[in-house]
Amino acid sequence: MAVCTGCSLLCEDIELALMTGAISKVKNLCRKGHGHFQSFSSDRTSPKINSQEVSLDQAIKKAAKILVEAKHPLLYGWSNSTLEAQRIGIDLAKKLGATIDDTSSFCQGLLMELVLAGRLPTCTLDDVRNFADTSVFWGADPSNSHPRHLSRFAYYPRGSKRQKSYEEERTCIVVDVRKSATAKLCSNYFKVPPGGDADFIASVIAVIEGKIPKFGDKKRMIELGTVLRKTEYGVIFPGVGLVYSLQGKIELLETLVSKLNEVTVIKVVPMVGHYNMRGFNQLLLDDTGFINGVSFKDGQAKHGPENSVIAAAKSCDAALVIGSDPLSSLPFGTAKSLANAPLIAIDPRRSLTTDAARVVIPSAMYGLEAGGSAIRMDGVRVEFEPILEADLLSDEQILARIMEEI
Amino acid sequence: MEALVTIVTFGDIFQCEAEKKGRYSEDYKKFSAQIILDKQDMAGLGVKEGQNVLVKNHVGSIVVVAKASEDDPHPGLAIMVNSPWSNQLVRDDVCETSIPGFKRISAQVSPSVEDVTQISELFERMKAKGD
Repeated sequence: MAVCTGCSLLCEDIELALMTGAISKVKNLCRKGHGHFQSFSSDRTSPKINSQEVSLDQAIKKAAKILVEAKHPLLYGWSNSTLEAQRIGIDLAKKLGATIDDTSSFCQGLLMELVLAGRLPTCTLDDVRNFADTSVFWGADPSNSHPRHLSRFAYYPRGSKRQKSYEEERTCIVVDVRKSATAKLCSNYFKVPPGGDADFIASVIAVIEGKIPKFGDKKRMIELGTVLRKTEYGVIFPGVGLVYSLQGKIELLETLVSKLNEVTVIKVVPMVGHYNMRGFNQLLLDDTGFINGVSFKDGQAKHGPENSVIAAAKSCDAALVIGSDPLSSLPFGTAKSLANAPLIAIDPRRSLTTDAARVVIPSAMYGLEAGGSAIRMDGVRVEFEPILEADLLSDEQILARIMEEI
Repeated sequence: MEALVTIVTFGDIFQCEAEKKGRYSEDYKKFSAQIILDKQDMAGLGVKEGQNVLVKNHVGSIVVVAKASEDDPHPGLAIMVNSPWSNQLVRDDVCETSIPGFKRISAQVSPSVEDVTQISELFERMKAKGD
């Protein structure tokens, strides 16, 4: 059995047949996971300095030199690295007096902060499979983002207390600005306009309090309130759609969940994208008290928006990017700042970021060529072993080598 | 002719799979460089399924393929897969939550005879010095 690191479900039931060092057959992978597993054979990186092929040693030494000479280095990525690599990354940031941030600062960080602080009640995905009778995908579309979520946990499986499953015992609700693939599967779809989630929450709260909702179709809002009130064990799965819509009003979700828990049991599991974003958040929180966006510049951990990748990309004089492609995923201005900074990219595969990097260090693919541990979206720790032999260093080994050089 | 739209981005499993074949692959461009428009909006623009459109705002501009929405009418709302193309239009002057407006992009859409913007061109724009 292998573990798929294609998303934060970390599916542990992947069956593979290997032939002459390559994957010949796979079972249980979703389309996304299949693409992830197949990608090990395409667009792999090689050690480079200024686009010229060099030895791995030369690339690592050059990376260390760039970081040591920088006054404001940024270490970014981390959500696609193991806990072991993240641990060294945080220590490296301390040693350099660097800013460290991961992808959560512009996606699920606001919610994860509330979950890790215990301000939002949460549960495991195994609890969802065994007990949940209502799942609410809010600004989330697992059919595209976490393709096996519905089949393994939220809707289709026969859990210990939900043997009649989706046919009789489970309800799936989707709240979204568009009729997503998941919304087409579930009969309870509620449409909100972009930015309308705060009003939607206010209406749900009104219904629960026995008042007339001011927003949306009143009849349907009352229907939703009735379903939620009758729920025995409900789970809200917020996606980035909800986080982006609420932003500074994220406490409204906290209020809603608190109100719902006066009449039933409601948990929250953020739909984390990358396989170990939660791991990084937890490690940094344990170390510094903050889940992301931390500067160690003056020897102390300081957190603030100025230390998020969006801001730090503009002020840094060198950046190390690991397991991420910010030139593809971040706004043009941020991408442009990084593209023109002395950039070090540690990545198994070619990307816009590796193409722009002054130094490229190839790495092993986790779950395939390297093992380690990670925290699933629900907080469960998952260990995995490599399944292919590869003559490549893991992120953990590369970072350790950079540390030695420094 | 020009239409003002709010673009909502989303993640697409087919684009994600294509990305694994490579950021520079034709499949990745096919699934990324497209905009889903309301049918009435397309009619108002005189644009048919598969034609190219210019999408621009004060941040940047791209040429992508227009696709007709199969959902209930949603005039003024357009949908794009999150990608380097959509990110050309996203502001990076963020509020204190540090979250850019990935899912609420204001832009103008108009018919275009230009070719679809290549990813190599997006890359060159990022590497270009100056504002």
